[in-house]
Amino acid sequence: MTTPAIDTTALTRRFGDFTAVDNVNLRVEAGQFFGFLGPNGAGKSTTIKMLTGLLAPTSGSIRILGQDLQANSADIKRQIGVVPEGMALFGRLTADEYLRFVGRMYGLDRATTLNRTRELLEFMQLAGEQKKLIADFSHGMQKKLALAAAVIHGPKVLFLDEPFEGVDAVAAGTLKAMLLRMIARGATIFLTSHVLEIVERLSTHIAIIHRGRLVAQGSLDELRAGTWRIGQAGTQDAVASPGEEKRSLEQIFLEIVGTDREGNPAATAPEQELSWLS
Amino acid sequence: MVELTGREIIPGSVPPIPASTQLLAVAWLRWRIFLNGMIRKRPKGKRQIVGLVFATLLRLIVWPMLALIVIGPVAASGFLAWMAISQGHSKDLASLLLGIALLWQFVSINGLSIAATIPSFDPASLVRFPLRFGRYFVLRSLLGLMTPSTIVGCLALLAAAVGIGVANASLALPALAVLAIYALMNIYLTRMIGAWMERWLANRRFREIFSMLMALFAISIQFLNLQRTPMRAPGARQSWLLAVLHSSGSYLYWLPSGFAAQAILLVKHPLAALAQFAGLLASAVLFAAVFAVRLHKQFLGEYLGEGGSRRASVPLAPRKKAPAPQPAALSAPASSSAIVSPIMAACLRKEWLILSGNGAQLIGLVTPLMFVVIFSMNRAFSAFSSKYFLPSAIAYVLFAALSSLYNIFGADGRGVQVYLLAPVRMLDVVLAKNLMSLAIIATQVGLTWVIICVLARAPVPAAMQISTALWTVFVVAMNLAIGTMRSIQAPRHFVPGQGRHLRASPTNRSSALLVFAVLFGSILLQVPVAIASSYFRLPWLALWVFGPLAVAAVSAYALMLSSAERLILANRDVFAEELCKA
Repeated sequence: MTTPAIDTTALTRRFGDFTAVDNVNLRVEAGQFFGFLGPNGAGKSTTIKMLTGLLAPTSGSIRILGQDLQANSADIKRQIGVVPEGMALFGRLTADEYLRFVGRMYGLDRATTLNRTRELLEFMQLAGEQKKLIADFSHGMQKKLALAAAVIHGPKVLFLDEPFEGVDAVAAGTLKAMLLRMIARGATIFLTSHVLEIVERLSTHIAIIHRGRLVAQGSLDELRAGTWRIGQAGTQDAVASPGEEKRSLEQIFLEIVGTDREGNPAATAPEQELSWLS
Repeated sequence: MVELTGREIIPGSVPPIPASTQLLAVAWLRWRIFLNGMIRKRPKGKRQIVGLVFATLLRLIVWPMLALIVIGPVAASGFLAWMAISQGHSKDLASLLLGIALLWQFVSINGLSIAATIPSFDPASLVRFPLRFGRYFVLRSLLGLMTPSTIVGCLALLAAAVGIGVANASLALPALAVLAIYALMNIYLTRMIGAWMERWLANRRFREIFSMLMALFAISIQFLNLQRTPMRAPGARQSWLLAVLHSSGSYLYWLPSGFAAQAILLVKHPLAALAQFAGLLASAVLFAAVFAVRLHKQFLGEYLGEGGSRRASVPLAPRKKAPAPQPAALSAPASSSAIVSPIMAACLRKEWLILSGNGAQLIGLVTPLMFVVIFSMNRAFSAFSSKYFLPSAIAYVLFAALSSLYNIFGADGRGVQVYLLAPVRMLDVVLAKNLMSLAIIATQVGLTWVIICVLARAPVPAAMQISTALWTVFVVAMNLAIGTMRSIQAPRHFVPGQGRHLRASPTNRSSALLVFAVLFGSILLQVPVAIASSYFRLPWLALWVFGPLAVAAVSAYALMLSSAERLILANRDVFAEELCKA
């Protein structure tokens, strides 16, 4: 049995009396392109923050590349790359300065940092913006820079929170190709996105979180076939009833999260709502 | 398009990162942020000249004030330390060191630091990098040392060491060593308080309570001062704070300031001096340890936000059937009985909701009035003449209130797009915002008036009341006209009632200078008019001066309003750049 790249046990995070992430058991094998889906406020970003050591879990454990995150956070952070929700860039630096800083913080020597900075800026089509401060970049440019910073040290596991949001189609295509190449070379990618087509095209394995609970986890084929597991502590390996036909990820997603906890439809039929709209 | 080389994407095992690499990288980062902060986009042509003039004027006013703030405490510390040693008042040294520490901490807590005005760098964001806790602790200890409180505090202690050395040369070296540790103790005390405050201030309610406590603290000091200098004893003015510090010397020996003073003074008794020095060192270590405990929680990913408890407690409301369509509802004309248009009413309601939900902002509005009460009760202020006290108090209250007129869109941030996109006249929006500001100012001025009329020892002459009213109309109308124009031409995003790391002030530097210039200029105008009116026994002179000025200022405001729509359209790109940026 191989060591999983990401392994959580009963991962829980509460904010006061609100449980954002509830008893989640995630297992992502090394080399997988893992799509992590959920509606707004489902707990995706909270989960990513916990997996990257930015937020402490209330309970449960996290193992990244076989190491306990709490005990070895510095070693693990060296081997992971993150594009966080808010990108966390330093607005008063230029792109070149920012990448050089990040490279040094991850322990790259000066020459390697400079080479990779140059290469990444050209790859991300940011090389022409040498004098511009990051604060003056467009949202899409900031996303590309955040992605460049996340990969400059060659991470083994890459966490991406909505990486394609605001990125133009040409750049998005280039980025997707780069990510697939990383997978081919053995890296693991953990991706959250609301664009289900992108997740369906890139990911081999998917988990769906809804109201803080993991409601489905498995390969894309398992999800399509309806034989996915539920990654909730205590209900591990419960298998859903197989579906009759091959469905798209969007259909599966809507089927799973389109109901409330009691199984009732979450939304009224559109035609009954907003009847005053022309 | 370049290809990224494969071997660089997936590295093998790597040696540990040297501490110097990461520490130097952060030092370089901080340096670059500082340097890049100096590079600003310069407007071209006429606006560049206006900007340069404003910047120069601001420096001419602010730099001497800053120099005085720095030189004053430093010179006083050196002199008092010299006096304490040369005159044999050894207890005064402990009092002096305590005074320095209190001032240091008070200024620091109030967030008057350079770091607080640079929102682009939050040292807590370094936790995402592969740092060991020890390095993170070192970085958090070093980052932000160049704050006014630390600089002035360290210089004051250096001056005290020099003063001690001048008074008694044999104490110079021990004083330097002990006061260096005392400075370190103060730095960690500041850090410790700051780290814990950061934790508590993350909660909005606590922020409001804290603002109230700070206001109460400032007010209560004034009340205590009143008790020490009652109205019936006008000559008995003295600083109660210095008196308390002076009389509590023996108790101070149990505080770090006492340890430091004793470690210097007992230098001829090495064992006793060492014991005192150990006490001082222990307090520095204690503060550093408590700071480290807080940092460690942050390092492990502690959440400082307010949580989602409110979200969890809100049950899903059952959906109601939509009401019958009413397509004409929005376009229906306003009722003839309505004082303001529906758009203005909606804007006013929105402004009120934001104000009423912001406790810190409300406290900021009430605090000047409390000070007016205190000043009115203080004989020293109210006795110089009731008739001059009224305009002075009004000017004091206006000084705080008028700044909000200079950035009426700043608190909206990206929300300003709603106004630009909606089918509304921007004039209505501007009017609604000005009306709300006017209502606040009128309430503050009205209450000030009542407070002074009730508490003043002699009735304020009617002529002075009328001239003050006209002067107030003139000042407010002039600030409204200039402020509205500045709000459109130089908006600046800010978060009302917020604290560290966020822009909490509604004005930028040039607008602050304008408020200062307009108010100060109008006061300069009022003083000779008031004196001439008194000297030549022409009680209605002020009326003839400020009456026409008030009419002119109101006309200027009306003129400004007539061109507001056009100005906003012409400045849409400025709005987008300053308020809607990510």
